[in-house]
Amino acid sequence: MKHFWKGTLAAAIIGFAAASMPVQAADETVCGTDRSIDIAEMSWPSAAALARIHAFILENGYGCDVEVVSGDTVPTSSSMLSRGSPAIAPELWTSSIEKQWTEAINEGKVVKLSDAITDGTLEGWFIPRYVQEAHPDLKSVAGVIAHPELFPDPEDPTKGRLYSCPPGWACEISTSALFEAYDMAEAGWNLFSPGSGGALDASIARAFLRNEPILFYYWGPTSILGKYDAVPLDMGPVDAEIYACNTNPDCDQPARKTAYPSSPAIVGAAAWVPEEAPVVADYFAKVGLTNDEISALLVYGDENKADAAATAENFLRERKDVWTTWVPDDVAAKVEASLG
Amino acid sequence: MFPEFVDTRPLRRAVDDALNWVVANWGGAFEAAARPLLGLLNAIQFALLATPWWVIIALVTLAAWLATRQWKLPAIVFAALIFLGVMDLWEDAMITTALMIAATLTAIVVSIPVGVWMSRSLRVRQVITPILDLMQTLPSFVYLIPTVMIFGPGKIPALLATIVYAAPPLVRLTDLGLRSVDPAVIEASRAFGANPGQRLLGVQIPLALPTILAGINQTTMMALAMVVIASMIGAGGLGYQVLQGIGRLEVSRGLFAGLGIVVLAIIFDRVTQSFGKQLQARIGLQEVRI
Repeated sequence: MKHFWKGTLAAAIIGFAAASMPVQAADETVCGTDRSIDIAEMSWPSAAALARIHAFILENGYGCDVEVVSGDTVPTSSSMLSRGSPAIAPELWTSSIEKQWTEAINEGKVVKLSDAITDGTLEGWFIPRYVQEAHPDLKSVAGVIAHPELFPDPEDPTKGRLYSCPPGWACEISTSALFEAYDMAEAGWNLFSPGSGGALDASIARAFLRNEPILFYYWGPTSILGKYDAVPLDMGPVDAEIYACNTNPDCDQPARKTAYPSSPAIVGAAAWVPEEAPVVADYFAKVGLTNDEISALLVYGDENKADAAATAENFLRERKDVWTTWVPDDVAAKVEASLG
Repeated sequence: MFPEFVDTRPLRRAVDDALNWVVANWGGAFEAAARPLLGLLNAIQFALLATPWWVIIALVTLAAWLATRQWKLPAIVFAALIFLGVMDLWEDAMITTALMIAATLTAIVVSIPVGVWMSRSLRVRQVITPILDLMQTLPSFVYLIPTVMIFGPGKIPALLATIVYAAPPLVRLTDLGLRSVDPAVIEASRAFGANPGQRLLGVQIPLALPTILAGINQTTMMALAMVVIASMIGAGGLGYQVLQGIGRLEVSRGLFAGLGIVVLAIIFDRVTQSFGKQLQARIGLQEVRI
């Protein structure tokens, strides 16, 4: 808390100094706006860590007046649309708010600054790498379905068990549809609902700790995929139309096969950011990370019981090769200096 | 803010590592040890699902009549069971009932001896009471996730969690019932030369039976209260419907499944209570006769 106040105070003084000086045109190393930049810290770990990383760089590197506010997909995006605040959402999954988001972009209320996850998000069925190494033919979904005996259901050992998605999540519908499309019940499989995200994580952790086989639905980037070496199964091509039908309870066609489409996670910003703070907007245009980088970040937080701020600080210390490419050299020097 | 005296991270890491170690080395053994419980639950569930619905409705309604000898309770029970069937909740209700019965039976086997032990020694009571408080107040998810890791997901951790939550009232009420037996009666039985075993089984437990039955009634209610939580770790049943309803914002699904849980609770509560009252009346008569 102390640190936070010192930071805000320093930022306020710098902001005041900058405001009282004649406006410097196109300087890439200062913030360029005295308006407070509020960054949304989403409720899930990867977005929280990203928010902290960007807040640190903007505050210490560019001298912006930064505030981190907590948020979640729907409330944050609707507040961005209506009030232009928070200014930045560093990891916004637009698939669940697609309609409103596209409309708002067209109306010029918000902008997409870049992709937060450059190689796309991951969603699919996974098995542990040690299982695939022992059985090299388990590469695709069809290959795994042919061997239910390798993934026995403890409550019904004659059948295999697919760990599905927690009840009520959109992925529960899509996974059940695929279970049906692949005729897995006929092939000797049970669809097991873990009941909650926590129980799904615990089941996966148990299997990996005990070197047991497990076939599970999961998504990335997450600390689970960073921590445990799981391989995604080849699910064939994505067919957006089939997927839309599979996930729509009102669609009366039978379920068909498709891979999970990659949903876009972007850096979203209120429209005033590129207008009033072009330097900040330029900075965010470069900040994409890959799945592996984000997963590694989360593993650090998980293993060291670090909160988002400590995770972000560790990233800034350890991955200079990554973040120094986002900023000019003297900004990087300032950030490094404040890391101590 | 409170100053940081020690860095608690090593401690937290040690706890997590210890859990991981237990899971890696003993997870299989724990799962095997819990197999009999799973067997009990599966047997009850199989029996309930294999019995035709009208047989179950007839039996439960008959039980309600035997408990009250009036038409009112059987009518309520009959209507409640028909509601479950009509709302397409029958199978889920049977799965939930099986979990509840298995948890209650296990709780009875464990709790009554513990309650008897507590009633006989002040020290035991001092040790066990805080444990019971802990079992009832510790947020379930705190121990559910480790239980899932140790025993594997599904019915076993759900059953264990239900037992942990449902057993304390029975222990407390057994203890209370035995302690409130009139000392004069104990004194009299001692004067007649009854040994401690005879005193317990022949005098104390029968006299404490209404209180113990109230404890069993409480245990069944607590077990039903855990249904939704148990579904969050893969137990299925009515709780799962509630979770799905909440998650998809299908208020109707959640509401009807929730009402299904209420209906089950009413049936079990009223029937066991009526049996308890009947028993109490009978014991009262016996006392008069003595």
